[in-house]
Amino acid sequence: MKFLGIIVVVITGALLVYTTGDFPSWSDPASPASTHVSPHYIEKGMHETAAPNIVTAVLADYRGFDTLFETTVVFCAGVVCFFLLRIPGRSPFTECQYRHKATGITVRVKHDRKMSGSFGEFERIDTLWTPHDLIIQTACRILIPFIQLFALYVIAHGHHSPGGGFQGGVILGASIILLAISHDLRTALDRLGEKAHAILCSVGVLVYAGTGAVCMVLGFNFLDYGALARILHVDPVMARSHGILVVEVGVGLAVMAALIWIYSNVSSRGNYDEGL
Amino acid sequence: MDIVDIAVAVMVVCGLIFFTGGAVGILRFPDFYSRLHPAGKLDTGGSFFMLGALALFNLEAFSLQTLLVSLKILLIVVFVFLSSPTAIHGIVDAGVRAGLSPWTKGEKRR
Repeated sequence: MKFLGIIVVVITGALLVYTTGDFPSWSDPASPASTHVSPHYIEKGMHETAAPNIVTAVLADYRGFDTLFETTVVFCAGVVCFFLLRIPGRSPFTECQYRHKATGITVRVKHDRKMSGSFGEFERIDTLWTPHDLIIQTACRILIPFIQLFALYVIAHGHHSPGGGFQGGVILGASIILLAISHDLRTALDRLGEKAHAILCSVGVLVYAGTGAVCMVLGFNFLDYGALARILHVDPVMARSHGILVVEVGVGLAVMAALIWIYSNVSSRGNYDEGL
Repeated sequence: MDIVDIAVAVMVVCGLIFFTGGAVGILRFPDFYSRLHPAGKLDTGGSFFMLGALALFNLEAFSLQTLLVSLKILLIVVFVFLSSPTAIHGIVDAGVRAGLSPWTKGEKRR
């Protein structure tokens, strides 16, 4: 069976290598890609979309369908992780550990449903990973707001500089994951719960697809942001620029929520209780 | 060649020395903890000198715009100073908790 697999892989690889012979040679000025599409994007991108960053214009406007389904793939990854890993119900741990905040003494308590969170002067700590590191927690608490601010900048400034929804969303998600790593998973889930992951992830895709649908309702093609000119009271070129921004926000939401969703499911083995 | 140019050149060279020392140290030191020492200290110091030189060089044509850019560069230095030593501290802490004993003189390199 293994041998058969190797043969299939080798034949497929050989076929792929063989077909590369039909490609236009590297950076051939006469190739279809550089005679029709690229010059149009480079010469007219700015006039048609008012986005100085051609990459953003191509990604979110000219090839909006592509990006819409990329976002859907990210969403699907989150949903699949949830369906595969999530174990509803109680924690498999029969005992919980608590730390007395003032003295640092740890106490082990038989699991009780009422006592699953932190209470009074005691805070819940993980059974498998218990270090309490003031330096790391404080540094992360100082850094996380700046990371999130930078993420919002990356999303909003995608028109003018490298960046956009995917990058900004990843930075936003990473900031929450940093909180989960430096404190624990429950702290991160208190800030942004499981329902929020699911809802934000879906809302992100909905914002993107909804923008396309609104364009259709207004009598234009799907994802033809020029249609938004009527709602936003600007000229069609600026409307395309604003449409790109709306879509980027949707992408950012979906990517952020999917990342956190996958992380919480994987790190806590699906029970959302104890995890790094 | 005015005084700012000389200061910028000196800072860049200092930064290069720091980075070189860091790279050599990461390769040459005998164990986990001592290799993390140049990774944390010299990288932070090197980026301080390099980015400081950039900020200073940028300020030569003084205007509000270049001042803002220089402030942003200094902000990067601040964040590197916050995050890099914290990360190294976390890694060393994890090593201690995992039970790795430090290297002592006379032992073999690890």
